[in-house]
Amino acid sequence: ADYNWTFQTSETAGEPGFVNKQKWATSVGVLSGGRIAIEILPIGSVVPHTDTLDAVGAGILQGHLTDPSYFSGKDPAFAMMGNLVGAWSDPFELLGFMESGGGNELYAELVEPYGVHFIGAAATEPEAFVSRVPIRTVADLKGVKLRAPEGMVFEIFSKAGAAPVSLPGSEIFSALDKGVVDAADNTVFATNQALGMNDIAHYPLYPGFHSLPMIDISMNKEIWNGLPEDLKAILSASVKQFSFNHIYSVRQLDAAAVALAKANPEIEIINWSGDERTKFRRIAQQEWQNWASRSEMTQRYYDTVTAYLSGRNLL
Amino acid sequence: MGLSSLGVEYGSYILVAAIFLLLLTGQPLAWVTGLVALVFTFGWFGGMALPLVTARIFGFITEYSLVAIPMFILMAALLDRSGIAKSLFSGMRILAGRLPGGVAVQTLIVAILLAAMSGVIGGEIVLLGILALPQMLRLGYDRNLSIGVVVAGGSLGTMMPPSIVLIIYGLVASVSIADLFLAAITPALMLLGFYVAYVLYICWRNPELGPPMSDEEMAQESIGSALRSLAAPLFIVLVVLGSIYGGIASITEAAAMGVLAVLLISLARRELTFKMLQDSLVHTLETCGMIIWIGIAAAVLVGVYNLMGGNRFVADAILGINAPPVVIIMVMMLILLVLGMFLDWIGIALLTLPIFVPIVIQLGYDPIWFGILFAVNMQVSYLTPPFGPAAFYLKSVAPKEITLKHIYTALLPFIALQLTVLAIILFFPPIATWAIN
Amino acid sequence: MAKVAEIIAKVEDADAEIRTGFDRVIAGSTKILAWTIFAAFVITVVEVVARYVLNSPTFWAHESTTFLIAATFLIGGPIALARDKHIRVRMFYDGVSPARRRLLDIFNSVLALVFFGGLAFAGWIMVSKSWFSPIGELRLEGTGTSWNPPTPALLKMLVLICVSIMFVQTLLHLIAAIRRDVSAPADTAGEK
Ligand code: NA
Ligand code: NA
Repeated sequence: ADYNWTFQTSETAGEPGFVNKQKWATSVGVLSGGRIAIEILPIGSVVPHTDTLDAVGAGILQGHLTDPSYFSGKDPAFAMMGNLVGAWSDPFELLGFMESGGGNELYAELVEPYGVHFIGAAATEPEAFVSRVPIRTVADLKGVKLRAPEGMVFEIFSKAGAAPVSLPGSEIFSALDKGVVDAADNTVFATNQALGMNDIAHYPLYPGFHSLPMIDISMNKEIWNGLPEDLKAILSASVKQFSFNHIYSVRQLDAAAVALAKANPEIEIINWSGDERTKFRRIAQQEWQNWASRSEMTQRYYDTVTAYLSGRNLL
Repeated sequence: MGLSSLGVEYGSYILVAAIFLLLLTGQPLAWVTGLVALVFTFGWFGGMALPLVTARIFGFITEYSLVAIPMFILMAALLDRSGIAKSLFSGMRILAGRLPGGVAVQTLIVAILLAAMSGVIGGEIVLLGILALPQMLRLGYDRNLSIGVVVAGGSLGTMMPPSIVLIIYGLVASVSIADLFLAAITPALMLLGFYVAYVLYICWRNPELGPPMSDEEMAQESIGSALRSLAAPLFIVLVVLGSIYGGIASITEAAAMGVLAVLLISLARRELTFKMLQDSLVHTLETCGMIIWIGIAAAVLVGVYNLMGGNRFVADAILGINAPPVVIIMVMMLILLVLGMFLDWIGIALLTLPIFVPIVIQLGYDPIWFGILFAVNMQVSYLTPPFGPAAFYLKSVAPKEITLKHIYTALLPFIALQLTVLAIILFFPPIATWAIN
Repeated sequence: MAKVAEIIAKVEDADAEIRTGFDRVIAGSTKILAWTIFAAFVITVVEVVARYVLNSPTFWAHESTTFLIAATFLIGGPIALARDKHIRVRMFYDGVSPARRRLLDIFNSVLALVFFGGLAFAGWIMVSKSWFSPIGELRLEGTGTSWNPPTPALLKMLVLICVSIMFVQTLLHLIAAIRRDVSAPADTAGEK
């Protein structure tokens, strides 16, 4: 191939996201008539997941397909744009905001100084919630010890009355199993089911309500700028196609996993009502406001996203 | 730039050869591995890629599960200095009585308890190395036998649940971690059983290897006081296991709870002093420095090898084999064994599992079964030279006159036992999978 | 049983092979730096009690512990180097004559200097990216949580500091090895 690139992802090799990203790389190869060959690597293969932005900017990696929240330590705007907790219940809402609400432009502007070109956004299904105790309403969150990761999730669950716990991903399973925590923010339903999470914590919340991370597909700016126009167009179009394929594939996997979970009489899948989701979103919005004041970029993002959400009558 | 023109195949050979040659000069192992990784990064990709090296250092040290290692080492240092350890082993000897090799068997039982208390190894081997090794030598046990028991037993932590190796495997392969835990118990106990049987057999053949007590000695000791000497260690074990299985603490936090238990007991026994605590902390810091930098260097090597396309090279090598499925699994085991000579398990997992697991599933095998094979294989990798983390852990605390060569020699029979168990599980999968069906 | 502790302390002191004055300073600092481990231990216990007994987990324990232990691991490098405790294969090294061993020491020190020099260069780039924004403003990289402590920036700086210290340590070992008089092997370091 004329271009041989290595892109690192933010998933382990078994996750649906990783498999779909590999398929994207294959499609780029086909669409470009073999002129581009992309090697997709799992999380942590070359650099830690928090360092891919620098690595892509420096040209160590040529690109990444990742969750922007991992760069929150560099700029709080990454936390907001990566996963605006509680904002989205459907990936197409997030994609709609990115495409037509001003999200793409803001995010491209955010990563540009790092020497990175933003090709496009994708999204996954809202992450499911694993729980040992039934949580049917916002009020039920009171006092629940729940594992929450980096970003704004921690504060929002605090505000909602829960007792968030910091735990690394590798400790979630044992902690849930033994009751160190009551609930955990983990990944999509299908993966949780495969890992056996729902077999030890019988009250998964699905479809999720709190976390819907954006997937950032970017590459080294210098390499991008040097590409012929047709290859640029192929990359952009293939990313859009990927965003659809990924959602459909996760929905299919989730549906199969839900059927499996339903076959187990011990598991009860809880689905929050629209009212509870809105209640949670209002609590979350207070925390968005706190984050908004952290920098000029976070304020601009906050204004843009709330304008979009109220235009969609979702606030 | 020069090196990349070698291609990944010859690059791989030269990389391995360079590590071997440089090791012979007496250069610290961590610097050898790190330097080779650095030279390959620079030579293959140029100067702009060098930050990869320090990024991986940062990534490695901030791995939360490693927090358990200093806690276990601190626990060991405190136990040792407080005299709890000495009375434990004196008590164990009395209870072992006239059974040749009895204390070694008891040490293995302590080891499996420790294994159920932690998710990573390192701490446990250091703990046994500080506690059991000098005591067994003091009691006249054979040096090789004592070393082997400590290292092989201490490595069981990653087979016995809660094991971080199995959790990482579950995450990579997207299979049930609970099933992996269940499936691992029989093979872990089987390894333990093989070690115990081996110790009993060679000590029965030649009681001098694990001298039992004489009648006169027996007459002097009381079983009651021996049992009392077990109370303190038992309390510590209960605190750690209780924290994990009672839902009080995470696996990593439980190690700190163990430190708390040791401190409380030393306080009660009026053995706790400022100096003792400080000495234990100093010892912990030095030991961590020794063992963590080896891991750091291995992590750097994996990063650059992945970027060189090493993973693709390995995948192609496997897919290129035209053989029955079981042979492909055996080739995978062989690759894991060879990599186990050079890398630590995290590196091997990052390098191979993304390639192996999809192939295993495609061949129609149970990924849980393969996970157990992987875990047993990693047991072997802890022990094999030249990069045997378990040997390094022991070396970091063993008496000065015990060299790496002594350790590796002592480990040979135990490696053979591990390979036997590996083969048994490979050819009789139900040994692992019966528990989940 | 204070006796056991004293004996162990004595044995370990005798073990140490401190080669230069700089190494002595580094090794001496251990008595203070080692308390980071104790701090991590106390914080972990506080978190367990706060969560299990009081049902109010902290937001700071996990990140503080990770930071303290990561820092401990890093400074363990220079400290183990000061006491010549890094693990090596001594089969050949111990077998050769004092003159050959001096040559090996010089060769190894030069290679180690290349290693630490390379690490320092890479560390410098990593630090500049974590201490300054792409437009050059001072902005310490944090963990990205709501608390957002600047521990990643501090640890990356500590990587640079530790590899630089090891560079200097090795440089001094190199000078010592070049100056070493091999005609009187009894007082060469590393023999026992
Ligand atoms: Na274990
Ligand atoms: Na090995």
